[in-house]
Amino acid sequence: MRREMIERLRDRRTLALILGIPLLQLTLFGYAVHLTAYHLPTVVVDMSLDAHSRGFVDALRASGYFDIERYVATEADVLTALDAGVAKAGVVIPPNFAADIERGKAQALVILDGSDSFSVQSGYSAAVAIGQAYALDIAVQKIERLGQRLNTQPITASTRVLYNPNRDDLVFIMPGLIAMLLQVLAVNMTAQSIVREHELGTIEQIMATPVRPLELVIGKLAPNILFVAIDQVMIKLLGVFWFGVPFRGNVGLLAGLSFLFVCAGLGLGLVISSVARTQKEAEQLSALLMLLSLLLTGYIYPRSPMPPVVRALGSLIPLTYFIRIARGVITKGVGITYLWNDVLALSMYVVVVMILAALTFKKRLD
Amino acid sequence: MLQRIWAVIQKEFIQTLRDRRTLIIQLGLPLVQMLIFGYAIRTDVRNIPLVVADQSLDRASRAFVQALTVSGYFDVVNYVADEAQAIHAIDEGRAQAGVVILPGFAADVERNGAQVLLLVDGSDVFTSQTAYNAITAIAQSHSKEVLVSRLLRAGRLSNADQLLPLDTRVRILYNPNLLDLWFVIPGIVAVILQTQTITLTAAAVVRERESGTIEQILVTPIRPFELLIGKIAPNIVIAIVNMLTILALGVLWFETPFQGNFWLFFGLACLYVLSGLGMGLLVSAISENQKQSQQTAMMLMLIGLVLGGFIFPRYLMPPVIRAVGNLFPLTYFIPIARGIITKGIGVATLWEQVIVLAVYVGVVMFFATRAFRRNLD
Repeated sequence: MRREMIERLRDRRTLALILGIPLLQLTLFGYAVHLTAYHLPTVVVDMSLDAHSRGFVDALRASGYFDIERYVATEADVLTALDAGVAKAGVVIPPNFAADIERGKAQALVILDGSDSFSVQSGYSAAVAIGQAYALDIAVQKIERLGQRLNTQPITASTRVLYNPNRDDLVFIMPGLIAMLLQVLAVNMTAQSIVREHELGTIEQIMATPVRPLELVIGKLAPNILFVAIDQVMIKLLGVFWFGVPFRGNVGLLAGLSFLFVCAGLGLGLVISSVARTQKEAEQLSALLMLLSLLLTGYIYPRSPMPPVVRALGSLIPLTYFIRIARGVITKGVGITYLWNDVLALSMYVVVVMILAALTFKKRLD
Repeated sequence: MLQRIWAVIQKEFIQTLRDRRTLIIQLGLPLVQMLIFGYAIRTDVRNIPLVVADQSLDRASRAFVQALTVSGYFDVVNYVADEAQAIHAIDEGRAQAGVVILPGFAADVERNGAQVLLLVDGSDVFTSQTAYNAITAIAQSHSKEVLVSRLLRAGRLSNADQLLPLDTRVRILYNPNLLDLWFVIPGIVAVILQTQTITLTAAAVVRERESGTIEQILVTPIRPFELLIGKIAPNIVIAIVNMLTILALGVLWFETPFQGNFWLFFGLACLYVLSGLGMGLLVSAISENQKQSQQTAMMLMLIGLVLGGFIFPRYLMPPVIRAVGNLFPLTYFIPIARGIITKGIGVATLWEQVIVLAVYVGVVMFFATRAFRRNLD
């Protein structure tokens, strides 16, 4: 174990990378991630230029979903702007808009860039809702002019978003990011360090000493756990104090469960290191795991719409369980009584993966 | 010069072909990735598990809850007594949304003052967004129906269509049915190629340095630049094969239409592959050992993934972050891939990205050579 620590500390540059990368990532993620597409760049063709058409465009702008970039002359110009990617949405208002509204048969067209999924999803529901609300307002005004008083909405739905009232993307991303970085570090550092000894042939030298395989593995893992722990504390401090992500649950509970999770990650790293023959292979496997983790564990994309086979594949990654735990503790502020399901699954995972790692490791030495 | 490059190329090819296992991984892995991602990425959330606290239990409230389930967005998993129990169910994760309807709902609807409260699990951003949009729309159209039927009864309207004087249509270009796969496939092609190219070369130079063979090569008359060219040659072939196979999988298996010109895409993809390989070389040249090169490569891939516009829209990012994203070839290739595959546009609208990508290849190769030379001294 001391040998590992010494080796680790000697390689200053790697050390700096291990400690610096997570911080860099959190900063980038913290500023880069926006999951709700407000402010879609929008171009407008207003062929009427009357009070109603301006009112409609104003309603779109006021919603915050559409930023009017500029006005163009024809629908073809809108298509060109979308083709070129200058705008993500276009609004087309045909001539005689005000007169058509009076006659009750006006039409407006909203065109969206279908190659960008975020923009489309936010833009679609916003456009429909704004159009309907605007139409209903006019209808009510008309009816009131006829002498009947009416309230626009017999039913209003108010929505309260639990745990994250402002629907802040960072609150959603942070727990997952912490979990993700922990896994990447744990798996990679382990996989890399063992495969390296294999490649350099030093593993035979070590095996010739009276150290047992299990002892070797524990010795190898100890410094990794330490580094991962330091990383974790730094990420959390940055997230909570710099980005202002609330930490609602129990810090001690999360730390304990993180330890369990890191053990799972280290075990997985050991298995990879036993499967991979060269550092290059280990690297490719780790890269694959990272991509899978990003997509299959619920970190960004929801797990519920995935087909069962893909979901099962995601269940093989420890991150899947820990993301729910991290969100539960950090964002929801719930305790172990709500989480025992995932904690149990994670514990079983650690046991299984360690046995697997021990088996493959031994086999490889023979 | 060409002769020397050729010699290195031959050596690299022999080395690559000898290691069958690695070769199979390099050729097979992208296909596996493509298959998994093609099935994994679904952003349209349906069937959100919902608990209902209906304290009215009258006709109007039941009609409203039914409108929620009929929409397909919500699945009622349980009925509970009050708001506290609904929150409890969301805490436990048994439900992701809850609807609270207060007593006297039907009477309130008549008096135009009915309130429905939706609780959503804010720790899941897609779900909360979908639920929010869905319930707003459902409440709006439900209100409209109530209003119309009341006006019809009062004889103010002769038919329901007359009520709304404005009809807003939404047309979605390039992907009218909002199929997730059509969004995702071009981006995945770009991302997988980035991963492949960077990992392929990141280890290349470092490995020779670690095993000490680099000195042997350098005593030969080869120049650093020639060595680097030779080093990436087999990787170019591998990456192009990767590109073709994943594209074939996307178009033939996942049935994503390829709207644009294939050869244009092919040419630009080759340019992109070069830029990725160059970036890998740069990483390799500045790293002292494979561990460092691997960590750096991983970091670059992750940052590229986040900032390149594959998952998160770039126009929402602050300028500094966007500028960091500009350092990655992925940022330029995603608009190219989406443009050609999904939109079907040509080089006339894409020339900006193409020029930047071409300059990028030159610059990154220059820096890789320089870093490599300096590291040798």
